[in-house]
Amino acid sequence: MIRTLTHLGLALPALVMAYAWRSQSLGVDPQKALILETGIWTFNLLLVVLFLPVASRWAHWPVVLKYRRAVGLWVFAYATTHFTLFLSFYLGWDFVRLAEEITDRPYVLLGFGAWLILAALASTSTRPAIKKLGRRWKPLHTFVYLALVCAVIHYLLMIRSDWSWPVAYAAIGLCLLMLRLRRARWLRTRN
Amino acid sequence: MNRITDQNAYRRRRLIAGALGLGALGTFGALRYGDGTVSAEQADKDAAPGSDEPTVSDKTGERLTHKFAATHYNNAYEFGWDKTDPVEKSGGFELKPWQVTFDGLCGKPGTFDLDELMGMPFSQLEERVYDFRCVEAWSMVIPYNGRSLRDILSVVQPLGSAKYVAFTSILRPEQMPGQASSFSTLDWPYVEALTIEEAMNPLTFATFGVYGDQNLPQNGMPFRITVPWKYGFKSPKFVVRITFTEERPEATWHKENSREYGWYSNVYPDISHPRWSQATERRIWSETEVERIPSRPYNGFADQVAHLYPGDQKQYR
Repeated sequence: MIRTLTHLGLALPALVMAYAWRSQSLGVDPQKALILETGIWTFNLLLVVLFLPVASRWAHWPVVLKYRRAVGLWVFAYATTHFTLFLSFYLGWDFVRLAEEITDRPYVLLGFGAWLILAALASTSTRPAIKKLGRRWKPLHTFVYLALVCAVIHYLLMIRSDWSWPVAYAAIGLCLLMLRLRRARWLRTRN
Repeated sequence: MNRITDQNAYRRRRLIAGALGLGALGTFGALRYGDGTVSAEQADKDAAPGSDEPTVSDKTGERLTHKFAATHYNNAYEFGWDKTDPVEKSGGFELKPWQVTFDGLCGKPGTFDLDELMGMPFSQLEERVYDFRCVEAWSMVIPYNGRSLRDILSVVQPLGSAKYVAFTSILRPEQMPGQASSFSTLDWPYVEALTIEEAMNPLTFATFGVYGDQNLPQNGMPFRITVPWKYGFKSPKFVVRITFTEERPEATWHKENSREYGWYSNVYPDISHPRWSQATERRIWSETEVERIPSRPYNGFADQVAHLYPGDQKQYR
């Protein structure tokens, strides 16, 4: 029940976007609006996924960790949609141009890098993969923080003049990163 | 602390953590969608009649971008950074009275009312259809109402020593929320500038309306300059002062980031913006139709303006 509701909640932004697209209420440039929205929701859920272990530890609330994988997979789903729409609307599936964009433009490179990391993490999130990776699974999945750093810079590079949103995301991302680093240090000194 | 209070403390923490997460999402939703960024009602209310039909200029027969699209998707950072801010936040902007001051190196400096600058009734002004090409790689085809800027400039008699013309936009933070915003890094008022040859080119258009409509602050009315072979930000909006100078004036976006926004900023498809390609543009025809098309040197006006830029194009980027 809770699991179904969780998935529904995570799908909700996508459903609203799909409805807005169909009813033509995304404004004058719906392609761009959709790319921005899928990007921002990738970011939102990425922050949620990183917030879950913090909340779980602080409030002794292990049950929330059961949903971490579900949220993580949705992060990848939104990221993939974001990337696919960019490929389709902005590059017209021209993979030569994609290669040029990746080498020429740091924001595309960082976005692509973040997506690759998320793809690697999503594909190693199946039960057999977790089993097979064993003790290496955990260090591999701390790369989600590298994806976060890429995403933060990716967003900061989009600024033309107004910096309020990207900086807010960078600040929250930085907080979560600091908490993780503090915990890593604590784990090291404890041993 | 005994086990019961321990449990209570954790229960409280769970509430706090849950509230923090939901609160963050709620705040996000209110800030991002609360002002109607994605608003179906807005689109329905203002939708142009017959909005699936292509619109065509009465005078030239050219296909135009729908007025709804051209008036609901604008960059006017004076009102805010979002494309819908100009239409949504310009309600309090007073278009009248409007005066323009001419000063600097000219024989007859002075201040003129808008009617004097038009020199004829608004309805008799020329209509010109130009492709508006934004530096962000989208474009729209827009009918502009006005007259060649040089007809106005020649009245105030620029001196031979005048090499450049600076255009200063209005500073009115009480009516322009983007100017009042502490999040904006731009230095207000907005200033753009052209060389005297560019300003006197017959293509450069003193603009008093678009789509036959003078009441569109989101499009820079009541008075803007349209320079069709350059990226859109080189076409200053809400102009109140025109200054002739010998030294090259600083321009707002160039000052903000000269690497990304060149002083000349002619449309050169071969020269990329550092963050994206300028080889193609997304032509916005309406809310439902966007077409990707190749961009053209000087936005299609190479015949008429390329001679102004001898030598390597890079120096005029």
